[in-house]
Amino acid sequence: MKQTSISRYLILCVIAVVVILAGCNNNETSNNESSGSDDDRMELRVFVPTFSTEPPTDSSPVLQAIEDYTNKNISMEWAPNSNLDDRFNITLSSGDLPHVMYVPSKSPSFISAVEDGAFWELSPYLDDYPNLSQANDIILNNSSINGEIYGIYRSRDLGRNGVIIRKDWLENLGLEEPETIDEFYDMLKAFTEDDPDGNGEDDTYGMVVSQFEGPWDTMQTWFGVPNKWGEDEDGNLYPFFLDDNYMEALDFFKQLYDEGLVNDDFAVMDPAQWSDEVIAGKAGVQVNVLDEGHRIQETMLEGDPDNDDPITVINAVEGPNGLFNLPTSGYSGMLAISRTAVQTEEELAEVLDFLDKLNDEEVQILAENGIEGRHYEMVDGEYQSLADEDQNLQSEYDGLNQMLMYLPEPLSLTPEATELRQLETDLMLENEEIVVPNPAEALISEIYSRQGQQLDTIVLDARIQYIAGQIDESGLDEAVDLWLQSGGQDYIDEINQLYQEADLE
Amino acid sequence: MEEADIKYNQATPDKKQSVFSRIAKEKWLYLMLLPGLIYFIVFKYFPMWGVLIAFQDYSPFLGFLGSNWVGFDHFQYFFSNPDFLRLLRNTFILALYDLVFFFPAPIILSLLLNEIRITLYKRTVQTLVYVPHFMSWVIIASISYVFLTTSGGAVNELLQTLIGREINFLASPEWFRPMIMGQIIWKETGWGTVIFLAALASVDQEQYEAAIVDGAGRFRRLWHVTLPAIRSTIVILLILRLGNFLDTGFQQIYLMSNAMNRSVADVFDTYVYFVGITEGAFSYSTAVGLFKSVVGIVLIVGADRLAKKLGQGGLF
Repeated sequence: MKQTSISRYLILCVIAVVVILAGCNNNETSNNESSGSDDDRMELRVFVPTFSTEPPTDSSPVLQAIEDYTNKNISMEWAPNSNLDDRFNITLSSGDLPHVMYVPSKSPSFISAVEDGAFWELSPYLDDYPNLSQANDIILNNSSINGEIYGIYRSRDLGRNGVIIRKDWLENLGLEEPETIDEFYDMLKAFTEDDPDGNGEDDTYGMVVSQFEGPWDTMQTWFGVPNKWGEDEDGNLYPFFLDDNYMEALDFFKQLYDEGLVNDDFAVMDPAQWSDEVIAGKAGVQVNVLDEGHRIQETMLEGDPDNDDPITVINAVEGPNGLFNLPTSGYSGMLAISRTAVQTEEELAEVLDFLDKLNDEEVQILAENGIEGRHYEMVDGEYQSLADEDQNLQSEYDGLNQMLMYLPEPLSLTPEATELRQLETDLMLENEEIVVPNPAEALISEIYSRQGQQLDTIVLDARIQYIAGQIDESGLDEAVDLWLQSGGQDYIDEINQLYQEADLE
Repeated sequence: MEEADIKYNQATPDKKQSVFSRIAKEKWLYLMLLPGLIYFIVFKYFPMWGVLIAFQDYSPFLGFLGSNWVGFDHFQYFFSNPDFLRLLRNTFILALYDLVFFFPAPIILSLLLNEIRITLYKRTVQTLVYVPHFMSWVIIASISYVFLTTSGGAVNELLQTLIGREINFLASPEWFRPMIMGQIIWKETGWGTVIFLAALASVDQEQYEAAIVDGAGRFRRLWHVTLPAIRSTIVILLILRLGNFLDTGFQQIYLMSNAMNRSVADVFDTYVYFVGITEGAFSYSTAVGLFKSVVGIVLIVGADRLAKKLGQGGLF
């Protein structure tokens, strides 16, 4: 009797566990079932980043219009851009991959997932689709893993980097736009010391830099430092910080810092506040992507409508070795197709057809501008947004453009170009002439996959510490030695081997 | 299984009977225990098998069962890595600082509170010092930034007028540890007094009266009555603290670290995050985490033994 009651409890316990586990399973299967049925349309789950806190929901009329056009049932899986890498890795490790997955970079986890067969290799298929077949070969190669394409890149301008300058400050001080590094320095000096805003107070400084390392990367390129990898006379690759011009660039940065031409809290400044310093009239220069120029200008105009043209942009200034600029990689992430959700070639063809159609003018306009009459209207052939003031309308389409690849070109509507926007577009084209390519862009190093972030941190932290005077030249050498010992030397050897193999092909 | 049961049954019939009859008698209590038991099995013990990926070359796509076994490779790589000594040093120094500077703080504060005779004032202070505990580290980090920044932070403005120069607290390695300690003390001291105040409340008032009759002053009473009364509480909390010795608090360190102070700010917790979550090296970071846990167990058992040797009641 007593024994039976005990075993009854045990059974109860087992049942409870089974029910809980079964409950988990049930959820999954029922999800999958519902994704199969619903009319005849293929169910597509799409994982992309969002910059907005209220991205479009699956019931958004814009998303429904895209569904109708592409004949798919789309459910969006938004990942906040601020913790994109975490979300990407966690989604990978869940094993439950969406059909279309945004891949932020060729990160070690993406590469190892590719090696384990998580994504489709797309190169044999792309030619069958009118838009996808027009992808740029160089950028495709940049985004490939040793020549194999595991995701369709989202096209971006190669020459986006530039310098944003307070135009009215230049005029107040009677200065011209700088053309050389020396003139750039003089401008920063004047912005700091000569009271460019004319209020009689010492409340301005030259250039604002944040924790984000991009500006240093761009500016060292002006000095002739190579983009990540340089090539010596014998055709061997070496990392950028072993270049002769690197020290010269760092000494220039250090001088800027020592003389107070750069904000002294740059190493701890939140990148989200980066542009605020320019908008608030504290800093006069920002090295950033060119299109930030009009965003800063438009925000400034909201606060001070009288100052009607406060910003200008230039692409780069000339260094001792010529005029160079740092390119972006030409793409911003890729859209990969998972093998777990898309199992057959027929399904793959459907997904590729969907991705191809996303590049059609109709879909580009839908995803970027919304629906005509609801989110925008055409006045005398010019685009005018109707959603600027209306958060709810905006959240029906804002962010859907993260799905777009813009192949072969952007076709969405843009407002009538202001002078500044036009200048930015022109400079981006000009930049393509002076950008320095990275010879190792497409090469995937195993060592870098494993230790890349630690290696990068050693060098990048040392650069910041040198600029801020925390270490001297010998400290910099120590950091390089540490880099070489921590796997850097093997990394150099491996990259050179890959480079020569790729060259032979 | 059944055979064993029967044998067991024959060998010690009395004991078994009593256990089962006790269970049967209190069956409703045991039934109520069940949800808790299931919770621990499903959410604590079952996932614990996950640490096995420390010995695998785990690939999320292949899954737990499909990944290759690599034995102690990840541990070997970790111990031979130049990062290891730096992480160990940073973590140990922060943990030691924590023990030396933070651990006594709630004890001192609760002793001070205990001496207050005006009940209303005491209660008010007690409640107010709890408040920082309920703020998240994100908020405390932001407050620190606002106060300590060199571009218009209140502290540096003050320093400028007092000593004529600014100190870059946020971006210098030598100020990192004091800053972290200051934050912890500010945030957690008040909350830490809860247990000590409870222990102090149970001290026999007659002992104080006896001490007064013997002519003991306030300080004597504190030294000879109050402190011995809460000694065992202090020891237990110290042992528990040693179990978490290497837990330096991921959020706080992560939020306060930057390129300028990384040489002292990198600890095991942040390393596991950077390598494991952002780089996706799950196996390797699990190995690092496992190493940390093993050190934690060794410390907690060691401290317990030591406490017993010194004549204090331990945990186990």
